[in-house]
Amino acid sequence: MPKVIKTRTEFEGHVFEEYVVVEGEGLSAWDAQTPLRYIGRQIPRTDGPERVTGKAVYTFDVQLPGMLYGKILRSPHPHARIKSINTQRAERLPGVRAVLSFKNAPKLSFRQGQTFLFDEIVRYVGDEVACVIADEEEIAEDALELIEVEYERLPFVLDPEEALRPEAPNVQPSGNLLNGKPDIYERGDLDRGFSQADLIVERTFRTQCALHNCLETHGSVALWEGDALTVWDSTQHIFGVRAGLAQLLGLPLHKVRVIKRYMGGGFGSKNGLGKYTVIAALGAKATGRPVKIMLDRHEENLAAGNRPSTIQHLKVGARRDGTLTALELKAIVNAGAFCTWPPSVGGPARQLYLCPNVKTEQYTVFTNTGPLSAFRAPGYVEGTFALESLMDELAHELKIDPLELRLKNYAEIDQTTGRPYSTKGLREAYERGAKLFGWKALTSNPSPVAHLRERGGAVGERATKLRGVGMASQIWSGNGMPPAYAIVKINPDGTATVVTGTQDIGTGTKTVLAQIAAEELGFPIEKISVEIGDTQLGLYAPLSAGSMTVASVGPAVRLAAHEARQQLLDVAAQVLEVPRESLAICDGLLSSPALKEAVAIKDVLEKLENFMIIGRGAREPNPEDVAVNTFGAQFAEVTVDTETGEVKVERIVAVHDSGRVINPLTLSSQIEGGIIQGLGYALFEQRVVDRNTGVVVNDNLENYKLPTALDIPEIVFEMVDRPDHRANNLGAKGVGEPPIIPTAAAIANAVANALGIRIYELPLTREKILKALKRV
Amino acid sequence: MRSFEHVNALNIQTTVALLSEPSTEAIAGGTDLLGELKARLRSPQRLVNLKTLSKLREIRYSPRVGLRLGALVTLAEIERHPVVQERFPILAQAASSAATPQLRHMGTIGGNLCQKPRCWYYRNKLFHCWLKGGDICFAEDGENKYHAILGADRCHAVHPSDLAPALIALDATVCVVGPEVEGEISLEELYTKPTERHRRMTILGPGELITEIRVPPPKKNARGVYLKAMERGSWSFALVSVAAQMSLEGERITDARIALGGVAAIPWRARESERLLVGQEFSEELAERAAEAAVAGAQPLRDNGYKVPLAKSLVKRALEISIRERSDM
Amino acid sequence: MATKAVRPKKRKIAVRGPGKTPIKLIVNGETHELLVEPRRTLLDALRKDLGLTGTKRACDEGTCGACTVLLDGKPIYACMALALECEGRSIETVEGLARNGKLHPIQAAFIEEDALQCGFCTPGQIMSVKALLDENPNPTLEDVKRAVSGNLCRCGAYPKIFKAALRAAELLRSGS
Ligand SMILES: Cc1cc2nc3c(=O)[nH]c(=O)nc-3n(C[C@H](O)[C@H](O)[C@H](O)COP(=O)(O)OP(=O)(O)OC[C@H]3O[C@@H](n4cnc5c(N)ncnc54)[C@H](O)[C@@H]3O)c2cc1C
Ligand code: SF4
Ligand code: FES
Ligand code: FES
Repeated sequence: MPKVIKTRTEFEGHVFEEYVVVEGEGLSAWDAQTPLRYIGRQIPRTDGPERVTGKAVYTFDVQLPGMLYGKILRSPHPHARIKSINTQRAERLPGVRAVLSFKNAPKLSFRQGQTFLFDEIVRYVGDEVACVIADEEEIAEDALELIEVEYERLPFVLDPEEALRPEAPNVQPSGNLLNGKPDIYERGDLDRGFSQADLIVERTFRTQCALHNCLETHGSVALWEGDALTVWDSTQHIFGVRAGLAQLLGLPLHKVRVIKRYMGGGFGSKNGLGKYTVIAALGAKATGRPVKIMLDRHEENLAAGNRPSTIQHLKVGARRDGTLTALELKAIVNAGAFCTWPPSVGGPARQLYLCPNVKTEQYTVFTNTGPLSAFRAPGYVEGTFALESLMDELAHELKIDPLELRLKNYAEIDQTTGRPYSTKGLREAYERGAKLFGWKALTSNPSPVAHLRERGGAVGERATKLRGVGMASQIWSGNGMPPAYAIVKINPDGTATVVTGTQDIGTGTKTVLAQIAAEELGFPIEKISVEIGDTQLGLYAPLSAGSMTVASVGPAVRLAAHEARQQLLDVAAQVLEVPRESLAICDGLLSSPALKEAVAIKDVLEKLENFMIIGRGAREPNPEDVAVNTFGAQFAEVTVDTETGEVKVERIVAVHDSGRVINPLTLSSQIEGGIIQGLGYALFEQRVVDRNTGVVVNDNLENYKLPTALDIPEIVFEMVDRPDHRANNLGAKGVGEPPIIPTAAAIANAVANALGIRIYELPLTREKILKALKRV
Repeated sequence: MRSFEHVNALNIQTTVALLSEPSTEAIAGGTDLLGELKARLRSPQRLVNLKTLSKLREIRYSPRVGLRLGALVTLAEIERHPVVQERFPILAQAASSAATPQLRHMGTIGGNLCQKPRCWYYRNKLFHCWLKGGDICFAEDGENKYHAILGADRCHAVHPSDLAPALIALDATVCVVGPEVEGEISLEELYTKPTERHRRMTILGPGELITEIRVPPPKKNARGVYLKAMERGSWSFALVSVAAQMSLEGERITDARIALGGVAAIPWRARESERLLVGQEFSEELAERAAEAAVAGAQPLRDNGYKVPLAKSLVKRALEISIRERSDM
Repeated sequence: MATKAVRPKKRKIAVRGPGKTPIKLIVNGETHELLVEPRRTLLDALRKDLGLTGTKRACDEGTCGACTVLLDGKPIYACMALALECEGRSIETVEGLARNGKLHPIQAAFIEEDALQCGFCTPGQIMSVKALLDENPNPTLEDVKRAVSGNLCRCGAYPKIFKAALRAAELLRSGS
């Protein structure tokens, strides 16, 4: 019988309680004695062949008979009221099937009422104004040029600090501060903490706005069949999109089907329902034909979310021996025009180090710029850069090795709840990382910088390169949570199908779920198929974000497989007429001491005609008495060319603790990918908004610089790989986000070590390096 | 892209005639032009495809006349050509530092020399800037980290080509054919600072085509290097680049040609630096002075001040590397 | 719209467009006849007119590499080429690599090394590696990095792409 329970969950730094329904029996994570055939093995992606042959159908590849294309007209102004809009000329263009705007589209509330699908007020350059539906993309683009819009320009504000001033124009009617107040966390007594300090270090850090630039842009294809809507969407949350569409369009859930087979990256930017999806659905309704809307690269960079810029005033107090006494953060986050999910910039300050007196205060501020969205470890990447930079400064001031300072303030319990950690492998990560990296040898020299200079490059007779090393640590959730459901079907031929409504966003989820099912069933992995990404067939699974997919859906799959296996054993015992307890399943074969030889499952099930075994599984609630988190440490070695300002990351060493490793191969891809994104963030990535017009001038991949093949350092990493038995029945935690968290901080610390000067702002461009060296 | 007609060029003469008609543009590799058309910055009614002019696809070399590059030779062909690699290494270096393998297989030398600025206001349809016939330069007090530090007037865009500075350092000339002209000019003369009347970066008028690029044989004991500073490891236009070609007799510099990319609306010839060097024996201090001279008169904007020390460092380094012939850049 | 004669008159100049005009494309060894406007890029012709959606579009302006195909054996960006200018030339796309259901060694190596995450850049990466290995069966790591330096991977699969390319070279050399 289903049980309703209340559980506490943490998602991307936000903690909340919710009711969940669970069913079935609990399983504990495999212990060290259990021989495992698939868990922990390097299994190549099961859908690799489709991806490498070009056969995988991404949303962008969906082509339906009679399909039309939609193109969106976007605001050229950062803040304006639409006085009039005339679409007649566009409508008359041959090949144009419909033009939607606030004049003819339903007034649908979006982003919790902060805007409408088509709003009469536009609040950033790129805000949606109208949409043309036409036979061809080119025609739709031609038609956009024929739409006449008269705007009444309104005063605008781009800078979050300016936006907080009383005289600033209001971006949102309720004011520019989200919720009208800062988000405050406090523990202990800050004043006392600072008064106990022998040393106080206080700095202001700035991080830039970063753009996800998933290679597949955001987009959807919408098809109506009668009153039923099917949407292919490049999304990280098919059930979320379904719920949103049903609610906005007034449809019952069973009439809305959302499909996502393959997707070209999300990184958090595809967590929610996009306007383009709703517009495609309305356009398809209006024209009676399927409609595809894919954002182009420019739109992607204007309107598809970002990691917001932050300003962080950070103050730390410590005793002479390095013990932290107080930590205070005041952060300003540039939300852009809308915000329903502010990142938690203070997370690292609250959790990473042992400190009795902590206050974090976050001002999430509306401005007339493109709205933020989650971006791989939102808040923590930004917060860790500041905190770990400041820790290094503190170490420097106190003449303590940076790693020792961190060990000195090691937190054994989660100070926000007072609960112990289920497991915490950070100490081991520090130790193993330091060893792999050679930290001691590189930092123990009395004058490390001079020593390192000798190892630098030279032009002619002159040494021009400085070498530096730095490190940083990471905490993140990644614990997963209910609800998540799965079924496992065993087919008469001895194959099995896992069905759940999660999505593989490139992380290898499909493969990992197949491993889990194969392990639990005792089937060869080739006999498992995994069906995900379809709300009509799948069971509810949460969004693929917060590093929680494996830890949420995986346990449900294991339980479903377990139940299917129990049924199989029940049936087999009766068919084979052997005691049930004597039966074992391995490699798809049933064996028993009572049997002469092993029997294929197929041979048993085929006797039962088309009997189908169906096992159900639901994710168990999270434990109430411990905190489940992921940890890691990274070490960076850089060279800095003092004449040209070029920073080159030579080497990153990473050791992370995310519990049990299920697939070392796909996991290593996540780690490397996270580090590489972190490197781009540290060195070059930065949205540039023209300060006079609010236009994003680098809304493209030419000037928004992502790392290329020629920017990739040597990456060495290891996992602590210790199952977390309290986390869930797999012992595994998330690994998607942890690796990006400390990278920029480690690189910044290495650069500061090389230069002997710290730069408080990302990215570390040539300009900043040359300025720091007083060459500009 | 807005729609257009398409014509394959038959021969140079008819091509010039076709291109002299209004609203007609030449397309070579298309890597620059299609970018402009896709951004709907311009909408020519007709494109004339130069790629069918097979005569312009040849690379020829003789020790006496030097190197002849047809305008349609691709950057990849230049980068990989054994004679270019051996005798004109700075050209090979410049070519291989440009863009990406794919773009180098598509892009032609003629197109590279004639490409339009990458200024992000220029490339954005929302800005009708001065160079596009408008009244103001949005970069001047806008976002200008990529913009010019030298010689700018109304427009602060930089010339984006990597090949142009290298070819200027090699003293290259170009053959130009047009409705009213036919002849050879130095590559340096091809470039012009945009002016009120002539808002373009080359002197080419309607219908005028580059057919060939000529590089004289290298001088005795010539050596050089092309250095390019980018924002990331590749696939970036130069923040600053330097092409330096020097000749030495013993320790004495007998000839020097230095051209900078990324600093001005035209590939920037560092004449004063050259003057300082010629006739002198090389020293670090001399390199320092020459580097200083290269950026004399620089007028950086708000965000591009870093280009001044960067240019200086690259000039100095280029001189050192070409003199010592060691390259660890 | 068919061709029409315009001045100068000496020789007939074939003007095509701006409406649709018939062209023949040779893709993966097969000749296809299609009707396209001159403004149709090779990429859109492959994807929309021929249904070959393996080649991706992530920028449409020569800045990502997802659309990499081989034109007469050389890697190019299909988004920056006009379809009608590719007439008569050999075009290879990712769909042409596997033969008779057997993966090309580059494809096999990409799977083996996990040289893909979301997979959206993968067809382009594979075509760049193909161009490299066709020309240089014995590449160094540096050669590989340069060969894929025109293919962005936002997921950061680069280290594994390098490994896969070297592994594929090995597989090809050993003839498997
Ligand atoms: C993403 C990206 C990155 C790039 N990075 C670099 C870089 O780092 N360094 C660099 O140097 N370049 C770079 N480029 C520019 C690239 O090298 C040029 O686009 C290319 O060389 C232009 O050649 P094309 O044949 O494609 O020119 P097209 O696009 O065909 O033509 C460009 C222009 O020149 C005109 N034209 C072409 N041929 C002639 C001729 N023979 N006579 C007169 N006019 C002619 C055309 O009408 C057009 O206006 C980059 C381009 C892109 C898209
Ligand atoms: S720099 Fe030149 S191209 Fe750029 S905005 Fe100014 S005038 Fe226009
Ligand atoms: S789609 Fe062609 S390079 Fe991006
Ligand atoms: S695998 Fe996702 S972009 Fe390369």
